[in-house]
Amino acid sequence: MSKFSHIYIEERAAAYPVAQHVLSRFPGSIRVMVRHYKDVFNRPHQDFRRQKASTKLILAVKREPFLYPGPEVCEDFGNPNFYYTSPVLNCIYDCDYCYLQGLYPSANIVIFVNIEEFFKAVDRQLESGPLYLCPSYDTDLLALEGIVPYASRWIEFAGIRQGLRIELRTRSANYSAIAGLTPVEQVILAWSLSPHEVVRRYERLAPPLKARLTAIKAALQDGWQVRLCFEPLIKIHNWQQVYREFLDEVFSIIPAERVFDANIGVFRMSKEQFKRISRLRSDTDIFAFPMVCREGGVVTYEDEKEIRGFFYQNLNRYLPEEKIYG
Amino acid sequence: MIYIVTALPCEASPIVKRYDLKRDDACRHFPLYRSDDMFLIVSGVGKMASAIATAYLIAQNVKRDEAGGEEGLAIINIGVCGTLNQRYPIGTPLLIHKVIDHETGKQYFPDILIEHPFEEGSIETHNDVVRREDVLSGRVELRADLVDMEASGFFQAASRFLAPHQIYVIKVVGDYLDVVDFDRQRVAQCISGALDAVDGFIKQVEGLCRVEGDVLTQDERLQLERVKESLRLTVTQSHQLVDMARRYKLRTGRPLPDFSEFAQTRVKVKAEGRKALERIRRLLLYE
Repeated sequence: MSKFSHIYIEERAAAYPVAQHVLSRFPGSIRVMVRHYKDVFNRPHQDFRRQKASTKLILAVKREPFLYPGPEVCEDFGNPNFYYTSPVLNCIYDCDYCYLQGLYPSANIVIFVNIEEFFKAVDRQLESGPLYLCPSYDTDLLALEGIVPYASRWIEFAGIRQGLRIELRTRSANYSAIAGLTPVEQVILAWSLSPHEVVRRYERLAPPLKARLTAIKAALQDGWQVRLCFEPLIKIHNWQQVYREFLDEVFSIIPAERVFDANIGVFRMSKEQFKRISRLRSDTDIFAFPMVCREGGVVTYEDEKEIRGFFYQNLNRYLPEEKIYG
Repeated sequence: MIYIVTALPCEASPIVKRYDLKRDDACRHFPLYRSDDMFLIVSGVGKMASAIATAYLIAQNVKRDEAGGEEGLAIINIGVCGTLNQRYPIGTPLLIHKVIDHETGKQYFPDILIEHPFEEGSIETHNDVVRREDVLSGRVELRADLVDMEASGFFQAASRFLAPHQIYVIKVVGDYLDVVDFDRQRVAQCISGALDAVDGFIKQVEGLCRVEGDVLTQDERLQLERVKESLRLTVTQSHQLVDMARRYKLRTGRPLPDFSEFAQTRVKVKAEGRKALERIRRLLLYE
């Protein structure tokens, strides 16, 4: 069945302008009213894999809390007050390594329609000092821009706030959706990049590397601050050569001197998530390499340090040390 | 495997005939019919009856050693329902996307992941018969397109065992809440008329619920069993062995290496088994 064949609408969400906007994008979808979004999203025994083949939309109203402290495993890029927020849960892409498949009980996409309340929560937080905020961690806002224009809403919001810095992380090539906006200094567009082979094997539905690089180039030309996120680094056959050639390709298209910064992150996951997801995924070899559980309950490759070191050295050929995090 | 729950014998009979189901006389508690790939149980009227029959059907008949076990089956509640809305002609089958329990107010949602030939709608399950005049006079307030007496009990019981993409409710419009004399033949006709569409739907559902085969072949599983036995592995070690074997196959795409050396070893103390398992680990994880 086609994507978004059904849209579940929380009763209290229906009247919000964002809900009306989303519904207008899918006039043919079957609309089902629900009392609380968790009645659908949190049903027991849902099959994440099967749902990915026919994802539904859920429109809901988020209640407090709106902001969460940045997780330990995520890079804070030297920012002291690191928070993330989730105006959307789940993603339209289907990456084998994605932590979301162990995080949520459902693959359906929840859009919280009360975006203004997210903004108010940010304003309250800003009263106690500067804030570094990531609203595109548990989703890909730029990829969803055609459905709900939250990437542009966050950019516009950040543009008129003192002390706020926002990172919009994406795998999308949908830069044209925000190309009309004036670049905002407080916003970093952060592109996750992987070699062709990794995209082909493990990042179903995500755009190819070339398309992402074209989008990045256009964003840089327009004057946006662009972060390159080399994570998760995935171990594949002949990984040294694959990643060396990958970086050569990236920087043959992207002018290194204009990149804001970059980060490196070898594939890692909490022990509980790893256990849950690897049990679900007997259709991929991504969890089949020798892994170890490090301090703090984080599972990663046995040779994580070697992979990171190799990648760092090669990235350092293009970017100075002070621009490389992770 | 498809399980079907109907409330009434007259709802069951067209299905029994269509799929050539045979009465299972071993079941003393409910009328139960079966074929190689289908069970049908007649629950009796009411959500409690439906819940009991549904739980009984699943718990008694799912054998975990059958292909797929619980994961490979789907259960469908098929029956007639009433509606106040005359835009649904009598005999219209609907696939239900929301079940409301009138008494508790709880809502249940099947996961509709497949293309199907039905119009979709919501249904409200009541303990008592709902009559047209009750609704028109405001004594009963309806919050759904259709009304029945089983769906919420069926769904609640089924979701205790199964995933929401394995549970479906198909209801055929049988009346406009104006029944005076219950006509079994008319009910059977309503169900009969929907069976072509139901049949296509069942095929789709079977495809959706098909369980992918294990990455390990039957021979490889046997080989691992022999290794576990001869090395006297603990339960945890046995799980580790199978897990490593699966990961090896996923990573390399090759069949498992020959373990006959380990299968023939007879360990006397557990420490020997541990050592052998470590050798297997190196073989499977680092090749």
